Amino acid sequence: MKAPRISSQTLRVLEQFVERPSTWRYGYELSRETALKSGTLYPILMRLANYSLLETKWVTTHDGVPPRHTYRLTPKGLALARTSLGQSRSRRKSRQLALSGRET
Amino acid sequence: MPKTYLRRFAILLLRAAIRIAPHDTLDWGNAMLNELSCMEGDWAALWWAIGGARVLTKHALLSIIIPGNHPRTVSGPGALFAKENSMRKATLSVIAACAAASFLFLLAPAFRQGFAVSQMQWHAMTTHSWPRSVSPALKTLEQQAEKTHDAEALAFVALRTPNQTESTRLADEAVQLDPKLVWLYATVAPKPSEAEDWIRKLEQWDPQNALPHFIEAENIDIAQALTGKVPQHTSDESPAWQNTMAAAFRSTKLDDYHDRLKALDRRVVAQHDFGDPYQVLEGECEPCWPSYLSSDASRYAKSMLESGEALEAHGDRKGALKKYLAVARFGQMMTPDGDFLMDRIFSLVVNRPLKENYQRLASLYQKQGENEQAELYALLARKAAQSEGDYRILARQEAAGDAVTRWNASLVEVSGLLMPFSAGLLLIWALAVIAKNKSLRLTALRASSGTLALGLSSAIGLLLSSAVLYVSYRPYAEIFQQFIRTGNDRRIPEFGEFLDYTQTPLGAHGLWNQADFVFYFWLRVSALCVLALLFVVIRHLAHHHRAATTT
Repeated sequence: MKAPRISSQTLRVLEQFVERPSTWRYGYELSRETALKSGTLYPILMRLANYSLLETKWVTTHDGVPPRHTYRLTPKGLALARTSLGQSRSRRKSRQLALSGRET
Repeated sequence: MPKTYLRRFAILLLRAAIRIAPHDTLDWGNAMLNELSCMEGDWAALWWAIGGARVLTKHALLSIIIPGNHPRTVSGPGALFAKENSMRKATLSVIAACAAASFLFLLAPAFRQGFAVSQMQWHAMTTHSWPRSVSPALKTLEQQAEKTHDAEALAFVALRTPNQTESTRLADEAVQLDPKLVWLYATVAPKPSEAEDWIRKLEQWDPQNALPHFIEAENIDIAQALTGKVPQHTSDESPAWQNTMAAAFRSTKLDDYHDRLKALDRRVVAQHDFGDPYQVLEGECEPCWPSYLSSDASRYAKSMLESGEALEAHGDRKGALKKYLAVARFGQMMTPDGDFLMDRIFSLVVNRPLKENYQRLASLYQKQGENEQAELYALLARKAAQSEGDYRILARQEAAGDAVTRWNASLVEVSGLLMPFSAGLLLIWALAVIAKNKSLRLTALRASSGTLALGLSSAIGLLLSSAVLYVSYRPYAEIFQQFIRTGNDRRIPEFGEFLDYTQTPLGAHGLWNQADFVFYFWLRVSALCVLALLFVVIRHLAHHHRAATTT
């Protein structure tokens, strides 16, 4: 299966996962950290899961609170995230260099 | 955390979205729902739910349009309409709600009136006889009026009865009951045998009015046209015509009794709750003038001018001035209020001899050294020349019609065709489903996916066409009501134009007009979209059938 299209919003989500790769994350927590609304965040998570880049798990926290869906990148997802983020950073760096060169 | 109304609404919204979501997205739906319990702030929870519901709805729609897009759907690609799915009950509820909402429109009088107007295109296609038959509502009003000796209602019917014998009888009866209604003799078309008697009565009742003389002149014109003896020149006209036109030009006023007619119509419509706009406006949109009035007035004014010029050439300035002043006085009396297209056309015909007449008067007064009078008539001549140009532009614009009115009329006609079609289809569908299940309870009804799709399409079609009909016709119902309530007839010509368009069968006026072409273009695009959607649904159902046979 080919890799999904990596949008800037997807990169933001991947960035959060890469910061703490082994931690299971909640949807609301991700939404707050990436400043993405549910209507944007969940299609990204669904797409990543569809490409087997994301694993999901239901967890029960404490009484009265319904079980929550948690997410973590798979090893394949983590590799793709690191590559994509690296490429993105180098692109950003070369753009900055080009801009500073134009200024001087 | 206590649940506020906003949070409850957010939960309900997401639950509703989960109900229609495909099975492979249920986990995600529940994930979004359960996150709500950990969220702070009700508004934040609501926005979260709205975003989530949007995602789930998109997936639900995609699962219908692209079969196989959700391969892990538990109940197969036909799940949305499948008998075992919760959507079956929801679909039945949607069909019932659409049908109920469509019937609710019937409570609005504007909608009922609009629907009746939309059906007039059929009337135009099926009625070829002339004179047209009287509408049942008008016939009922006539019977009531005769029973109760209601003079005004009889007059109202007489004005709208195409059969001359019948209209003469009704008008006579109305005038006998109420002698103040003699003006009816100027507005109702009489039997030829009664015409002369009616003119005499009118002349006696309103001796200063030019209208009876114009009616008499018209009768002479018609008689000449019928015998084929139409004079080439005005000077060849019979003495009777000359005398009656001279009397018309001597009159001090020209009253077509339109104000009386309008007041009578409003009273009768309000009293008898007569809601047929076609019948009401039949006596309203046209000025109540004889058809030959413009040409007779123009021809006579020209002949007066010619005789004035002849007198002037012989040095009889006093005699010429008398002729010119008679035409000028007539011109002032005839100045139209500009409300109706017919007024403008009339102005166009009569304005030219008037302009020439003012020029003659200006020149004559100048010769006599009366400069003030000469300037006044020169000014009037310039004004007449200017208004001739204005009237010509206005008449051309109004004859071309208004694109918005035409568009609205076409929308009303399309809705008027779709509504009975959808309602009929829905009725047959409902009867078939009830007969098959032998029950009237919603929960007990079972229907296949194809049957449900057909019922849903009919119900949505019925609701949409009802809404479009109501929205398109509502402004015209308001114009009509305003006319009945306040007598404001400023926009009645626009309404009259709209009614004229709705009498033309749909598609009959779409070939030569650019605005109509645009309308029919979009109508065809919409029809193609509906066909495409139908194709997708059929493909979806066929896929479902194949999946069912292979498992």
